[in-house]
Amino acid sequence: MFAGLGLAHAATLNVNVIDAGGKPLLDAVALLEPAAGKAPVKPMADVEISQAKRQFAPRVTLITVGTKVTFPNFDTVRHHVYSFSPTKTFELKLYAGVPNVPVTFDKPGVAVLGCNIHDTMAAWVVVADTPWFARSAANGRARIEGVPAGNYRLRLWHAGLGPGIEPAAVAITVGAADAEHNAKLAVSSEP
Amino acid sequence: MNVPANPLVGRATGWVKQSLGARIVVVFLGLLLVVQIASFWAIRASLWNQAHRELPEQLALADSILQSVVERRAQRLIDGAEVAAADYAFREAVASNDAETIASALANHSRRVKATEAALYNTDFSLRAATGKLQTNMGPLVARLGARALAEGRGGSRASEIALIGGKPYQMVMVPMKAPIVVGWVMMGFPLDDQLVTTMQGMSAQSLKLTLLTRSEAGAPWRVEVTRLPAEQATQLARQPWLKIPALGDMNSVDAVGEELGVRPRWLTQRAANPVDGEVGVVALTSISIDDAVRLPQFLQVALLSITLLGIAGFALGSVFTARRVTTPLRKLAESADRLGAGDYDTPMRGLQREDELGQLAQSFERMRVNVADKQQQILKLAYWDSLTGLPNRVQFRDAVHAAIAQAEAAKAANPSAQPTVAVLMLDLDRFKHVNDVLGYRFGDLLLKRVAERLSQNNVRGDDIVARLGGDEFAVLLRQGDAALAASVAQRITRAFDAPLTLEEHTVDMGAGIGIACWPEHATDADVLLSRAEVAMYAAKRKSEGPLMYHASIDAASAQTLSLLTELRSAVDRSELRLYLQPKLMLETGRVGGAETLVRWMHPQRGLVPPMEFIPFAEQTGFIRTLTMWVFEEAARHWLRLQAEGLPLVLSVNLSTRDLLDQDLPQKFDALLVKHRVPAEAFCLEITESAIMDDPQRALGTLNRLSGLGFKLSIDDFGTGYSSLAYLKRLPVDELKIDKSFVLSMETDLDDAKIVRSTIDLAHNMGLTVVAEGVENAKVWDLLRELECDEAQGYHMGKPMPASEFQAWSIGWANKQRPRPATGTGAVLH
Repeated sequence: MFAGLGLAHAATLNVNVIDAGGKPLLDAVALLEPAAGKAPVKPMADVEISQAKRQFAPRVTLITVGTKVTFPNFDTVRHHVYSFSPTKTFELKLYAGVPNVPVTFDKPGVAVLGCNIHDTMAAWVVVADTPWFARSAANGRARIEGVPAGNYRLRLWHAGLGPGIEPAAVAITVGAADAEHNAKLAVSSEP
Repeated sequence: MNVPANPLVGRATGWVKQSLGARIVVVFLGLLLVVQIASFWAIRASLWNQAHRELPEQLALADSILQSVVERRAQRLIDGAEVAAADYAFREAVASNDAETIASALANHSRRVKATEAALYNTDFSLRAATGKLQTNMGPLVARLGARALAEGRGGSRASEIALIGGKPYQMVMVPMKAPIVVGWVMMGFPLDDQLVTTMQGMSAQSLKLTLLTRSEAGAPWRVEVTRLPAEQATQLARQPWLKIPALGDMNSVDAVGEELGVRPRWLTQRAANPVDGEVGVVALTSISIDDAVRLPQFLQVALLSITLLGIAGFALGSVFTARRVTTPLRKLAESADRLGAGDYDTPMRGLQREDELGQLAQSFERMRVNVADKQQQILKLAYWDSLTGLPNRVQFRDAVHAAIAQAEAAKAANPSAQPTVAVLMLDLDRFKHVNDVLGYRFGDLLLKRVAERLSQNNVRGDDIVARLGGDEFAVLLRQGDAALAASVAQRITRAFDAPLTLEEHTVDMGAGIGIACWPEHATDADVLLSRAEVAMYAAKRKSEGPLMYHASIDAASAQTLSLLTELRSAVDRSELRLYLQPKLMLETGRVGGAETLVRWMHPQRGLVPPMEFIPFAEQTGFIRTLTMWVFEEAARHWLRLQAEGLPLVLSVNLSTRDLLDQDLPQKFDALLVKHRVPAEAFCLEITESAIMDDPQRALGTLNRLSGLGFKLSIDDFGTGYSSLAYLKRLPVDELKIDKSFVLSMETDLDDAKIVRSTIDLAHNMGLTVVAEGVENAKVWDLLRELECDEAQGYHMGKPMPASEFQAWSIGWANKQRPRPATGTGAVLH
């Protein structure tokens, strides 16, 4: 979609993620990193994590390094969005509407966002340092498109895994054809 | 020996036994005591029931309070920990890994909730920072709390637990630190100490006591961590195993140093799946004193005691009052009854006006008093009055004489110059027995009544007393009578008796022997006075010469009679008796036809004793029989002598009643006839009418046998008795002797002359010879001859003379008679 748009022979990797109970897992993140070297990434534009009905939406946001994210507040109450995650530590003190300054996530990793006023609000920002990533849909499928053939490391993550916990990366070779990968994460499906 | 107690007990028992009032008081107080004891026990029982119903509830309530206190404390810890975990700055510090800030923030937050312990753990429960003393040693607890926190809710839960740390009980909580996902764990805790107990006590009743027991090594004894109980009781509780947790409402009863406690345990620590003895842990014991609950509240005790004391006082007063109300009238009744017993029948009973039982009792007593008084009157009447005549009786008379003498003595003592006197008259009716025998007792009683009336009428003065002493004996007391007055009264009485009494168509001549005795002349006291009057009366009767005043000579004679019998007996042996003869002369020829034998007593000292002085006495005593035999034998001897001297006579011998009643008399006479060889025809046996009439049947038998032996029989004193001619006809009699009372006066009294004449005619008609007694002059002699009387006897011809002189008299008489027949006889009568 980004750099590989021009490559006619780019393949699509479908990662099917299930939880500990064998059910399709929503919002699982799959990152495909080149086995060697580093693929160039560009910051994404117009990324928003809104706060509506005292919830972050979306709960899991997948961005590339350097992407600026805005936090529009659609609630009538104020929020105090913060992150103590080393990936990006920030806080947007009590605000309403859209804060002036977007937050730039300039390091790869996972940042857990919370609201200091509403403890139940939580969102995760996964900052990818690779152009190939996807988030699973309700059917547990994360579709990574435009992957050139080559050797890759597939990293999987889910908020339910807990802070700082990440399963071991899986080496994957992508050919010309689309590929399927099945993965199971130690996450109990929550209601 | 229980000697000291006995006299008191004995006295008390005796008091209760003797006093009705005491018994009432004792019963009242006893009942009150029973009621009080019963109500006391009822209250006790109800308190016990209530305690055993309510105490478990109270304990259960306390237990739930304890539980909530523990939970609140946990909540406080949790709140504190959560505040800390949510603190932005703290989280920032944690995020920035600023160790110093982390520690100070922990300390700060723990101070806020007064937690003594606080620690921060990583998400893998490794220790990151801690304050307080217990940084070490908490490994298992952290793991356990973490596991629970994790288990209870994914990621965001909190856990609380009471645990032993270093042997001390702690309440610990663990909460997650979220940013916003769990980034670490905050633990906080404080010890279970006095503060918990204070809080708990502050929320529950004062009587509930909380005790915490801990055991940190398996099998070790419980240790008392903190308690509100006295140490000893807490120690006692610590000895229990406290394994079981009772169901709601359960209550363990523990005897703790003499006090019964209801205890409800609660395990505060987590328990093993299979509890064993000596399990490690913390137990909270909520206890309450069962004894206190069962014990009467003090105000109730005071109230009960006051009620009891007031009740006892009230009952004591009331029962004493009641007892008084009962016993006082009873005592009065008893006093009245005692008075009755002492003989006072005049005072009425007290308490008659009462309407209750006591009043009825008093009324009964009153009726009894009246009845007894009536009876007393009757008895007195019987005792002091003669029921037939209504006159005082002997007892009353004697008392009256006593009283009169006492009064006279008093008068004399008061005035020595005065000479008071008391006189007693004593009367005995003549021939009363005879009246009774012939006319019957009913008539006799009527007669006595009439006599009593007559005496009363003639006893003029009010003070004087007429009494019936018994039988036909009467007496008169003249309280202030001297001898002269007494004599005049006696004369008056005699005159009153002169008029014959007419009763139921019978006319009875009444006479009485009257004796008089005076005080102080004749006697010094009443009894002697009475006996002297009696002596005089008997003397008067003997002499038949009207009233007789007592005189020492009569009394001497009376005294002599006492020894008369002895002397009379010896008189026979000493030959002091003399046979006298009184001639019986043939009127036609003037010759001596016979003689009546009479006995005379020649007493060596007293000289010739008149027959009146010993014959009646001999008759009374039966000695008359000896005398009769003596006379008969003597007569036989003299008859033989006179026969030999040429004087053939028929000798008359008097027989008394007693002789006639002697069945052996004919035999004895016959024996004497044989002994002296004298024919029966030589004797004439004279019997008075009255002698026959005493027992006519037996007399008739005896007379028949005597007649059969050949004795001539004669009726003596004919005309004085009541024997009928029809009866006389049946008697084997040969001769009648006309009583001298007729003969003596026939010269002057025409009636008597007629009686003599008709008697002679009658006798002759019946074939009897007639003898006239009491011929005292020639005129009578001549008259009798005219009337053809057969024989005569009397002083005109000859008085009784010693038998030895009879021969001489006989010759003298014969000589005197010789010229007489020559003088005309017929002139006398015409």
